[in-house]
Amino acid sequence: MKQLDELTKGVFKYNPIFYLVLGLCPLLAVSTRVDNALGMSLGVFFVLVSSNVIISLFRHWIPSQVRIPCFIVVIASFVTIVELFMHGYAPELHERLGIYLPLIVVNCIILGRAEAFASKKPVFDSFLDAIGMSIGFTLGIVGIALCREALSTGKIAIFGYTIIPTFTPSPSVMMLLPPGAFLTIGVIMALINYRSIRKEGR
Amino acid sequence: MKRIVGIAIPLIIICIISGAALTASHDLTKGRIEMVEQEKINESLSIVFPGASFTETDDYYSAAMGGEEIGYAFIAEGKGYSGTIKTMVGLYPNGTISRIYVISQSETPGLGTRIAEPDFTNQFKGKRIGDVRLRQDGGVIDAITGATISSRAITDTARERAEVVMNETTR
Repeated sequence: MKQLDELTKGVFKYNPIFYLVLGLCPLLAVSTRVDNALGMSLGVFFVLVSSNVIISLFRHWIPSQVRIPCFIVVIASFVTIVELFMHGYAPELHERLGIYLPLIVVNCIILGRAEAFASKKPVFDSFLDAIGMSIGFTLGIVGIALCREALSTGKIAIFGYTIIPTFTPSPSVMMLLPPGAFLTIGVIMALINYRSIRKEGR
Repeated sequence: MKRIVGIAIPLIIICIISGAALTASHDLTKGRIEMVEQEKINESLSIVFPGASFTETDDYYSAAMGGEEIGYAFIAEGKGYSGTIKTMVGLYPNGTISRIYVISQSETPGLGTRIAEPDFTNQFKGKRIGDVRLRQDGGVIDAITGATISSRAITDTARERAEVVMNETTR
């Protein structure tokens, strides 16, 4: 039961985006389209799970004085591996994610989980934590991408298939630009906080 | 001293292991990545000169149809609003553009990315090199609203490279 908590805490209670407020750089940049958001989530999922498992596996063995360089080397290697394979096997996605793919290295969710969780907890717990956090990140970024894509292009198309046609008759380009990302995140965060404050207050 | 070694050795081992892992994945994906990149170039060549066959020279591709040279294709590369824009340009020997095709770009989605769409690139068809400028710069190309920098980047790099290739081929 406790282990299930490690999985679900990343999804809701400690959602990396809305509660921990980490990884906002890729969130702002790549949430313009649902496609891109899913691709980014896939990259983060792979890197987060692998680095959490590896770091947890070697946690007794990494001297605490050099733990950050060790984490970064491990994380950067996995990111580069993802980038190479994506370039070869999903070139379109690779092109669309552009610079934000290598920037997963400095995504604070990954280093944050390595430092706060994987370096202290057993392998299986770290594995579950990584999966939970990835799902939390995916929910956040895809949710925001859904809002932005619907409002900026007037429809939602995932991998070429139009899911929701003509969502809004007058799409606004602003939602595609950085202000749109900030607005969307701000509004969603406000709603979540409003809910949790009300829950506590009553 | 012993303490430092104790700290350094794990870090060194981790670096060696990840170096090996990276080398392995580089080797595994190298052929595939080269193929993907070459495919992109081939695809863009056949868009600027459909049905032609190409021979690569040091600076450009010479397009031929039925054994006769019909034009030149080359890659124009320049800095856009948020990264490099790579464009394939087809040029007829008389100094007019056959077509342009954007190979890669990383402009603002929804604004700058529209430089890759036919509405914009079709404007270049049949234009003389000297006229390939934005309208506000004294040319005949209409910039995309809200993406003047991207439009100017692609227009200017295409013209500049076309002039260079033109000089080389007429010499």
